[in-house]
Amino acid sequence: MTTDGAIISACRVRRVFSMPAGPVTAVSEVSLTIAAGEHIAVRGPSGCGKSTLLHMLGCVDTPTGGTLLFEGRDVATLSDRERSLLRLRSIGFVFQRFFLLPMLSAAENVELPMSEAGVAAAERRQRTRELLDYVGLSARADHRPSQLSGGEMQRVAIARALANRPRLLLADEPTGELDQATGEHVAALLDRVNADGTAMVIVTHDHALAGRARRILTMRDGRVESETAAR
Amino acid sequence: MTVLPFAWRSLVRQPARTSLGVLGVAAVGALLFDMLMLSDGLIVSMRDLLERTGFDIRVTASGDLRRAGDRMHDTSATLDAIRRLPQVSTALAIRFVEAEADVHASTNPVPEGATGTIALTLEGVQGDTRPWTVVTGRDPVGNQEVVVSQALADTAHVGLGADLVVRARCAARDQVLPPARLQVVGIAEFPFELVGDPTAGGPMNVLDDACAGPTDEADVILASARDDVDATAAAVRDAHPQLNVATNEQVLGRLQRNGFTYFRQISAVLTVVTLAFALLLITVLLTVSVNQRLGEIAALRALGFSRGRVVADVLCESVLIVGLGGLISLPLGAALARGLDSILKTMPGIPGQMYFFVLEPATLGQHGALLTVTAVVAALYPMQIVARLPIAATLRDEVLS
Repeated sequence: MTTDGAIISACRVRRVFSMPAGPVTAVSEVSLTIAAGEHIAVRGPSGCGKSTLLHMLGCVDTPTGGTLLFEGRDVATLSDRERSLLRLRSIGFVFQRFFLLPMLSAAENVELPMSEAGVAAAERRQRTRELLDYVGLSARADHRPSQLSGGEMQRVAIARALANRPRLLLADEPTGELDQATGEHVAALLDRVNADGTAMVIVTHDHALAGRARRILTMRDGRVESETAAR
Repeated sequence: MTVLPFAWRSLVRQPARTSLGVLGVAAVGALLFDMLMLSDGLIVSMRDLLERTGFDIRVTASGDLRRAGDRMHDTSATLDAIRRLPQVSTALAIRFVEAEADVHASTNPVPEGATGTIALTLEGVQGDTRPWTVVTGRDPVGNQEVVVSQALADTAHVGLGADLVVRARCAARDQVLPPARLQVVGIAEFPFELVGDPTAGGPMNVLDDACAGPTDEADVILASARDDVDATAAAVRDAHPQLNVATNEQVLGRLQRNGFTYFRQISAVLTVVTLAFALLLITVLLTVSVNQRLGEIAALRALGFSRGRVVADVLCESVLIVGLGGLISLPLGAALARGLDSILKTMPGIPGQMYFFVLEPATLGQHGALLTVTAVVAALYPMQIVARLPIAATLRDEVLS
């Protein structure tokens, strides 16, 4: 498997959890390359290992077997601090439950990863304005999450994920908590993010959302059962 | 957003819980503040009192610091001998006797319903200087002249120039002596005046008259050194080996070993208890708070927040709660100390100018240091929870829940 130009190169990646009843294999022998600007959807039944794979791709979980390279660096050899920095600068996360901080405004939530990355205050504010404008929430900058709808919260979460200009955006059921119409808006926004050059991996049950990706991986029992090009 | 503002925002999102935590720390911190003031308060206060009298050395018959100890005899000769020592600058002898003032026997106008008799201490002084400080009026010089404490002036209704009729109990308690009519020539501060035991003082011959004759006895001889206090005390000790000679520091040391040890032990025990309460309170508060935010914390970690950063957030929350509570605890503790001091001073034998709770700069430092340590130790467990948080598993659990 070549890693030239790839953001992620996963080779026979496995994830086994130790449980009291015995080891449980969540992901088994998955090989995957994600190139810049790619749009991949991962789908499959509950418990098939989609989220576990996403977590490993996002460097929040470590494979128990195989090799995972992020921009050519073996993730297993990185320290916790290095993995944090990698996530901060190169990976954006969008969660099903948004996980916006309720005590911060929409703008402050977006600004947070930039603040952690040491971006200067003026630049942070400018970038936050741009991002909120990008997701269509300029008028809601000062609103707390509790004052936003589900769709608006997810758009703020997408803006937050893009704050440090990541090369890869990972989304775990980004429309899972939204109604169909709102989910459609969020899906369109994600399409735009990808079209603007950010590689994206979306884990979803939603066939319509998966159908918007260029590659669709279907998982079953921890393995990639099939890979199709959707469009 | 830096750690401190972030921690502050995390705290204020639960205002009720944070307020309770801060108030809890304030209450515990106030007790801690008082215990720290109490641990050395009596010693500091006693040292201050001893130094204010202007004498460095106390000579007694038995070493008993109470007024009811054995008396020295042939005081005049002893006092002269001590004064003649080249190391001694000044010396005076004091004799204390219990007395009763007959309020209605005086020629002064007395309010109707005033107490008939008042128990007091009569001090007779022999020597060049006086152990009291005259506030108004003048020092007594004549045979029947005395200065009285403000407490005695108030309770016996005597002012400058007034009569004070006293009946002294010089030897046995049941000895009946004729009353002595004394003239008040000044109001003075008596450093060792006991609470509820007003004092009058005059030359030794006033006491001799009140006791129906000279006894040449004294309870204590106070001396001040020209130079080295310890050397002077040693010289007095060599000249009068039968007497007990102690410097102020030695007196304090004896009190520290004996009488004041109880307060120190009590304050040490209560300090540990209060700190344990503070520790538990903050630990529980932060642990509950952290457990409610595990999903958010895992999300922040997924977004790239370092382990150190999320741990620092928890530590800062602890420091903020303890810091705010600690600040509130200072005025609270001061007010509490004042109340407790007035209660404790009703114990018999406590000089009115002594305080149980004394604030020293070091006390503030100790208070701050102990609370800081408490904040850090209390945050250890919730910090550990955050530090060991498995990001992926927590995110998965949050979705499943």
